[in-house]
Amino acid sequence: MTAVALARRPARVLRLEIKHSPVPWVLPLIAALFFFNTYRTAAGFPAIWTVRASVITDHMLFDFGAFACGLSAWAGSREGRRKTTDLVATTARPAWTRQAAVLAGTMFWLVLAFLAGVAVLYVQTARQATWGGPPLWPVAVGVVGVVTVCAIGFTCGALFPGRFTAPLAAIAVLVLNMVGLRAALGSSSPYALLSPATSVPPVDAGLFYRVPPDVAIAQVMFMGGITVTAVGVLALALTFRRSAGGSGRWLRPVAAALVAAGVAASATAFGLTGTAKQGVAGWDIPALHDAASDQPIAYAPDCAGTSFQVCLHPAFGSYLSDMAVALDPVAAEIAGLPGAPVRAEEVASALRAGGFREALRTGGFQESVITGTPPVFEFNGELVGNFLGPFWGIMDPAGWRAGFQQGLLEAFVARPSQAALGNIAPAQQAVVTALMSAASSQPQLPRQDGPGTQAGPSRPQIAAAAQRFAALSPAARHAWLAAHLPALRAGHITLAQLP
Amino acid sequence: MTAAVGERPPAPAPPAWRVRPGARLIWLHLRSRRVPAAVVALAVCGGVLRAALTWHWTFSSGPYAQLIPLIIEAGAAAAVAVTSHSPVGEPERATGRWLPYLRFGTALALTGVAIGLLQLAVTGAGLNAGILVLARNVIGMTGIGLLTSLVTGGLLAWTLPLGYMAFAQYALLEAWRSPWTWPARPPADRGAWICASVVLAAGLTAYTLRGARDRLADNT
Repeated sequence: MTAVALARRPARVLRLEIKHSPVPWVLPLIAALFFFNTYRTAAGFPAIWTVRASVITDHMLFDFGAFACGLSAWAGSREGRRKTTDLVATTARPAWTRQAAVLAGTMFWLVLAFLAGVAVLYVQTARQATWGGPPLWPVAVGVVGVVTVCAIGFTCGALFPGRFTAPLAAIAVLVLNMVGLRAALGSSSPYALLSPATSVPPVDAGLFYRVPPDVAIAQVMFMGGITVTAVGVLALALTFRRSAGGSGRWLRPVAAALVAAGVAASATAFGLTGTAKQGVAGWDIPALHDAASDQPIAYAPDCAGTSFQVCLHPAFGSYLSDMAVALDPVAAEIAGLPGAPVRAEEVASALRAGGFREALRTGGFQESVITGTPPVFEFNGELVGNFLGPFWGIMDPAGWRAGFQQGLLEAFVARPSQAALGNIAPAQQAVVTALMSAASSQPQLPRQDGPGTQAGPSRPQIAAAAQRFAALSPAARHAWLAAHLPALRAGHITLAQLP
Repeated sequence: MTAAVGERPPAPAPPAWRVRPGARLIWLHLRSRRVPAAVVALAVCGGVLRAALTWHWTFSSGPYAQLIPLIIEAGAAAAVAVTSHSPVGEPERATGRWLPYLRFGTALALTGVAIGLLQLAVTGAGLNAGILVLARNVIGMTGIGLLTSLVTGGLLAWTLPLGYMAFAQYALLEAWRSPWTWPARPPADRGAWICASVVLAAGLTAYTLRGARDRLADNT
């Protein structure tokens, strides 16, 4: 085989481009950013696959996007920057082949680095997670996102081969990313779902119900359409150059078809996203939705305790003993009283809210309640112990314990609507505080001052009443609660009426 | 008739250049660094910042409110940094003693123009962290860009400012307190100002004395 024949092989051209790509020079910088921005952020999240995987589109894509776009623009502007367009026009390969090889060489490194980062992230999660497996849709969205910004940057670089193109293209992509994040967090429009960057999902996302892939499919289609459009525009621009050679005749209709196909794909994705509705575990897009995936995921809960049983989803199995230790003492304080729970069970956080994104936006998570016969305390990872605990990497064990204890007692002494907001009556607050104190836990003051507390007694007055009630013997407290519980729950008991 | 008789005397140089050779030198230096285009790029950055504030692309308060301004400040710093590339390269270094002064003056003036244009863009638009933070971020990241140009060459000098910006976003959201993460510090934080100024001073000094690297960026 002659050297000429070898040189004509596209694979050899691609190998040369991979070898001479500028991307490896920037990989240490990208790796450092990955460590700080993505890896550390993920390490602070609970070891839940869906939650950990959210950093791929939220953080990783941001870091990679900037450099993917900038370096692709840099690579794309090579011929124009060196003013070698006419020189390379005499080579055997047509212009589109050369440019495609440069783009593929740049993408190769960036996608490889991206997948390596995902592998690090998933290996770390696999070592800690106790349930479930790696979600692949966030990876697909991330890879397509990297490819898209590569195509956009490369096209910008090829069309405007100036020294400012690379940084400005990178900045433009980052600004777009942030605008998408702003829309995703602050807008109720379903079109904001097209932004890969969004908020962190609830702590139990994907545990009780499968996260539907509908939105991910729409995002892939939307970004894929942009990629195809960018490549088509680039090819179209090449056909108008003298260096296009003989391929110009057939390349032009192909390029135009690419542009049309890309625009159609993005427009279709945009239109589909507009039909999105709140589902059980996220947003459903009717045309893409598989109703069979709405069924609850079967699991065997991890339970602990004898007199008072605490049951958690196996994904939270590592918290089980801590939960049992936290809830046992307060459960013992109210054991035997009417409506006192005999078991605590974790439930899905967004079941009643109708969807994660809406629940995050409105704070409308399912409240913790005591329900059923025999009574069961149903709680979720978002409202009880949410901002206090190691679920989110905040190491405050005492506060985390107290949050769960308070959640159980508030659900016991108050109406569910009050308990959900921590907006309970002063006498109820005093009883909760006293019972926690009796259970040797740090007494908690009200989580927030609601309408009832602003006009009513002050915090010191509530604390004094709580101290008074806690000073009673356990039998006296029990007897008083047994007699006055309905009135206390209805909010008819005042601080002065507490013994 | 001899050849000497037939030769016409050389045309006199344009009087303007004879009067102001320094101005011509400065203008040629600025053009070789694409400074006019850089000013346009900075104006574009200012326009985008203004649009972000006007049309509420940013969050109204909290650390998230600084994310888009920080990106645009990094873009402005990157635009200043890439002007460090010289198309002439090595031969330019042997032409005279004015080159370091021209480098210093250009980088410093462009940094000032960047701050001025961005401040002009946010006037009356209510930038969340204020113009002091904006100026400090541009100063510090320009210093990083100039230092980067010594290693990568001017054309790739935008990489480290962008990397620092992405890192600073993390520091901002995590409320880091180190003065080296100056975008996350309050406007009047002395340590943050010292760090940003030190980085700019180091970048300016090194760039003035050595200039941007010529080879690596050109060959990739």
